[in-house]
Amino acid sequence: MGDVLSLAAFAPEALVLAGALLILLLDALEVRKLELFAGISLVASFGALLLVVADLGFAPLHLLAGVPASAIDLPPTTSALWGFSSLGLIFQAVFLLATFLVSLGSLSRPSDEKGSAVFFALLLIATVGMLLAAIAADLIFLLLAIEVVGISTYLLVGYTRRDPRGLEAAMKFYIVGALSSALSFFGASLLFGAYGSTNLTVLSQATGTVGYPALALIGYALLIAGVGFKVTAVPFHAWAVDVYDGAPDDVTAFLAGGSKKVGVFAFFLVFIGPLTILDRPCASAACATPFHFAPTLQLALALLSLLTMTVGNVLALLQREMKRMLAYSSISQAGYMLLGIAIGTSPALAGATFQVFAHVFMKLGAFLVVAAVAGLGIGPLIEDWRGLGLRRPWLGVAFALMLLSLAGVPLTVGFVSKFVLFSAAVQAQGLFVWLAVAGLLNSALSVFYYARVLRVLYMESPDDAPAPTPPSSNGLPLGGLGYGRAAAIGLCAVAIVAIGVYPQPVLSAIQSAASHFALTGA
Amino acid sequence: MTSLVPLDLLALSAALLGIGLFGILTRRNFILLLISIEIAMNAAILNFVIFGALSGGPGGVSGSAIAVVLVGLAATEVAVGLAIVLALNRLRGSINVAESATLRL
Repeated sequence: MGDVLSLAAFAPEALVLAGALLILLLDALEVRKLELFAGISLVASFGALLLVVADLGFAPLHLLAGVPASAIDLPPTTSALWGFSSLGLIFQAVFLLATFLVSLGSLSRPSDEKGSAVFFALLLIATVGMLLAAIAADLIFLLLAIEVVGISTYLLVGYTRRDPRGLEAAMKFYIVGALSSALSFFGASLLFGAYGSTNLTVLSQATGTVGYPALALIGYALLIAGVGFKVTAVPFHAWAVDVYDGAPDDVTAFLAGGSKKVGVFAFFLVFIGPLTILDRPCASAACATPFHFAPTLQLALALLSLLTMTVGNVLALLQREMKRMLAYSSISQAGYMLLGIAIGTSPALAGATFQVFAHVFMKLGAFLVVAAVAGLGIGPLIEDWRGLGLRRPWLGVAFALMLLSLAGVPLTVGFVSKFVLFSAAVQAQGLFVWLAVAGLLNSALSVFYYARVLRVLYMESPDDAPAPTPPSSNGLPLGGLGYGRAAAIGLCAVAIVAIGVYPQPVLSAIQSAASHFALTGA
Repeated sequence: MTSLVPLDLLALSAALLGIGLFGILTRRNFILLLISIEIAMNAAILNFVIFGALSGGPGGVSGSAIAVVLVGLAATEVAVGLAIVLALNRLRGSINVAESATLRL
């Protein structure tokens, strides 16, 4: 199906890649200005975002559409390497949004910073990998796209090369990432051995030679482990907090808000097919043969989701540093996404996708606030933020909104995503009702640590806080915040409320995409 | 694919994966860690070649093709790993993983 499409279908990927190459070229020509690189990155990601939204059928932009509507959500073939699904396009839009917001926030870094070209080029190359993963229809294609993201983010974490914490985080991230990719590829090789193909449709319908069920089961287990590392699922999460903590703040925002989501989509592609095989209309005789381990896979994913939610939340309660607390809460949010995958019905998929979408504004925004606050000369401990909401009212309101949304308070995006997800779990009956209960208890638990931060922000007097260094010391406008970072944080805060109050347009797009996805399987 | 699973060949690749994982868990020298990661990666590559050769036909070709792509991928990964080691060595004068005390678990 790749051959009936024109190259225009790949315009978003090409645009982002061109941006990365242009930045590297300018760097080689010794034109080194952070604002210029950030501008290229902003234009490339926003342009690609418009193209993807046009592909999704947004009428005012129809002239930009590169993928004909007839080529989206086709029934899966058994030989394609890539295919366009509306859910994949929605994930592409989410990825590009994350890149755009991180680039916007990075405008406020010192303009003579060393290595800024490397930062923006790697950011865009990682984005290309994410875009490619969202159109994968073949396991090897998918894993290679994830590797593109992985390799560029290992380097992003250590790009400053002067900060020992960043480099150590990069080293740790690299070791864990390389281990997880070795496990994923080993799992893929076993699936290739069991079914004689790496096409995701063949794998999910098990229409190949189902000779060796044991091979396939071990293969899927290794894939859960390998991709589980990428989405920071417990027990594969231990690296995440150190890496998020040691990485430069803007990079942490990208890791938590952007690149982690690739793993979520990989879970969709690899596991929704096998899980829903029994519910789907069956075209060929081969898939009528009973499929043997869908219940096992479902149980494994449900346990993974339960562990991830709970462990993330409990450990977040114990943290004293803001960045580590947010890192653990990011782990628990991944648990909610995995819950949607374990259920595997189309409303649950919609809930998980909406959670991924909401997570960009909540978590990426929260890490951008951390970056801004660090820029104001305030320390990393939660107590260091005492009275910040009173001293910097706008920043305080934005951060409070992000925390409330993470906790799932009504009228925020976080509430909508949890509502859709948990009601899908209740609809799915059986075991999943208990998972929904566990999820609700977890949200209640998470309110404790978010409320603690809110209390520190607003209730504690700023007088007994150590006087922060004067904001003018870093020379940025808006009292040391900088226009770019202020704009990015403001956009996140506005989106949290706006989409939380009126989620219908986004939600219905996601729901229809999810129902197509659950129907075709890939 | 009519033949049985070649247990001896699969045992070889499983052993390679095991050696690699053992090395990743026990080695504290970054270069030895890189070598362990390579060994684990090669287990997957070997598997693709084995299953490709077994199935023959178009599936067989794709197995070998995937193996070649993965060899390239493994080389890329090592290059990135070495870049990180170099930067770390310049900064600290040591490539021992256990000395990274700045970040707690």
